[in-house]
Amino acid sequence: MTIPASVLDIFAAIMLVVAAVSAARLVALRPWQRGRGAVAADIDISHLLMAIAMAGTLAAGLRTLPNDAWDVIFAAATAWFAYHVARDARRAGIRALSGGHCAPHLVHSAAMLYMFVAVTAPAAGGGSGMSGMGGSGTQTLSLPILAFLFAFILIGYSIWDLDQLSGPGASGHYSLAAARIRSAGPALAGTPALAGAESPAAAFSGPTSAGSPTSAGSSSAGNTVATVTPPAEADRTSSCDPDQVTGGAGHLVLAPWVATSCRIAMGITMALMLIIMI
Amino acid sequence: MAVPRGRAAWRGSLGSGEVAARTAPDARRMLQLALAGVWLLDGVLQYQSFMFTKAFGQMLAATAAGNPGVIASPINWDARLIEHHDVALNAIFATIQVLLGLGIACRPTVRAALGASIAWALAVWWFGEGLGGVLSGTASPVNGAPGAVIIYALLAVLLWPTDRRGLPVPFAAARAVGAPAARALWLVLWLSLAYFALLPANRAPQALNGMIAGMASGEPGWLAAIDRNAAALVAHQGLAASVVLAIALAAIAVGVYLPAPAARAAVVLAIVVAAAIWVVGEAFGTILAGGATDPNSGLLLIVLALAYWPARTAAVPRTQGHAAEGMPK
Repeated sequence: MTIPASVLDIFAAIMLVVAAVSAARLVALRPWQRGRGAVAADIDISHLLMAIAMAGTLAAGLRTLPNDAWDVIFAAATAWFAYHVARDARRAGIRALSGGHCAPHLVHSAAMLYMFVAVTAPAAGGGSGMSGMGGSGTQTLSLPILAFLFAFILIGYSIWDLDQLSGPGASGHYSLAAARIRSAGPALAGTPALAGAESPAAAFSGPTSAGSPTSAGSSSAGNTVATVTPPAEADRTSSCDPDQVTGGAGHLVLAPWVATSCRIAMGITMALMLIIMI
Repeated sequence: MAVPRGRAAWRGSLGSGEVAARTAPDARRMLQLALAGVWLLDGVLQYQSFMFTKAFGQMLAATAAGNPGVIASPINWDARLIEHHDVALNAIFATIQVLLGLGIACRPTVRAALGASIAWALAVWWFGEGLGGVLSGTASPVNGAPGAVIIYALLAVLLWPTDRRGLPVPFAAARAVGAPAARALWLVLWLSLAYFALLPANRAPQALNGMIAGMASGEPGWLAAIDRNAAALVAHQGLAASVVLAIALAAIAVGVYLPAPAARAAVVLAIVVAAAIWVVGEAFGTILAGGATDPNSGLLLIVLALAYWPARTAAVPRTQGHAAEGMPK
């Protein structure tokens, strides 16, 4: 009794798209360059790895690494985001656990770790471990209550993210409507950095060069507005904040809503995988 | 230009008003999101391997039993159709439910998704749940009467993103339909549950015991133990347990007509009873045992009860008559 391969292939394809988008964001972000280390490349790296791992779990043909390797990778990711959540909690209190930017990534990483650690061998054939759900055996997870809880929380985060992504207060900053920003013209000091943007690329343009904060509204006749991000401040703030992930003008892929959309897609797919392996 | 200092200042450079506004959904929006989450969970559950087999169609066919012919015949036709096209139709069903959840969560589409969810819920209530056993005499509040999915539709109506102008809003569920209608719907639902608790099939000495004990099968050890112990508690006490349950349900039903402190107590009682039903009587909708199509009624009753939590009474300003919380008109 298995799920039709075509259904799983669709979800695997979605994960491949997420992986491709995350990889493109990393390339556009160039976190390896000096002064760009503060931006949240860890989100895109974790998205990339999770998407590849999930695609390999959903479709055996896309399997890349052995389970043990994924165990180590997601244990490290969980520890990394747990450290950031703990740091946020010290700063902002218990609210960091529910409303912080790192908490969803911690849950995602922990859910992936649980999925790879708790999976039991298929009842019949199919080898051992997670080697594609479309195989002949049915994979199950030990401690199903954990799978249920993770699925519940992941669905909650996905719903919340979608609400925030489409919220009225997000117009021009965080929403899918970001490409339809209002008037052009030079942005004034103290006004929203997006006020002069006409394109998503402009709207989400971000930190310019390290160590030299740039005034808003100075380039390209006011159409390209750079957000001011003091590097030192960026270092102090949470690295998981999607608002921080801004890049140079011309990179639509660096828009915060792109990362959030990837997170929504992964959250739903992860919840699906957990539920069908209970 | 002066560089903003501190995290708040940095955020302020992005438009502090917008950032603040996007993070503050009100109580009704939170309940809409809860409903969206349950629809999404439903959709995910519908992708389970069991649902892609003929057994799913057979499960639907079983809900026709005991219903009048006019109700049962379409159920049997629908079940046969699903048995013949199990993969394609189930994939469509699952996707519809996922889209309903996402649509409610996405503000520009909330009205369309809530409207569609009402139509879908009514169809599932008939074709998938046999009207929750209401007409067959087998409905029990402990096992999901009057059908979990009809509560989805009720929630969609109560949480519709419209405000009645200038009227007092004693609780979130009253914002769209008004307090009298919302209270009447609550009364009908909970009184019907009290009535179902007293049906002959449910007040028999071993009825409740058998119903709860039957839920233990396939569940994790700790949940099965809870079910077995609860079943032992009501063994041969079917009538007494049913009467106590019916009194509690009737008290909940009339509670929303009482002053705020008593109404709060009634809502708390509703949440406690719904939680007990969800854990003991429904075993979380048997999700942990596999093969569940939804989390059953307990979770939905909790969400519904939260929609009736008495708030500080305030009239909705006339200017907010439409487009509540930034919803499109």
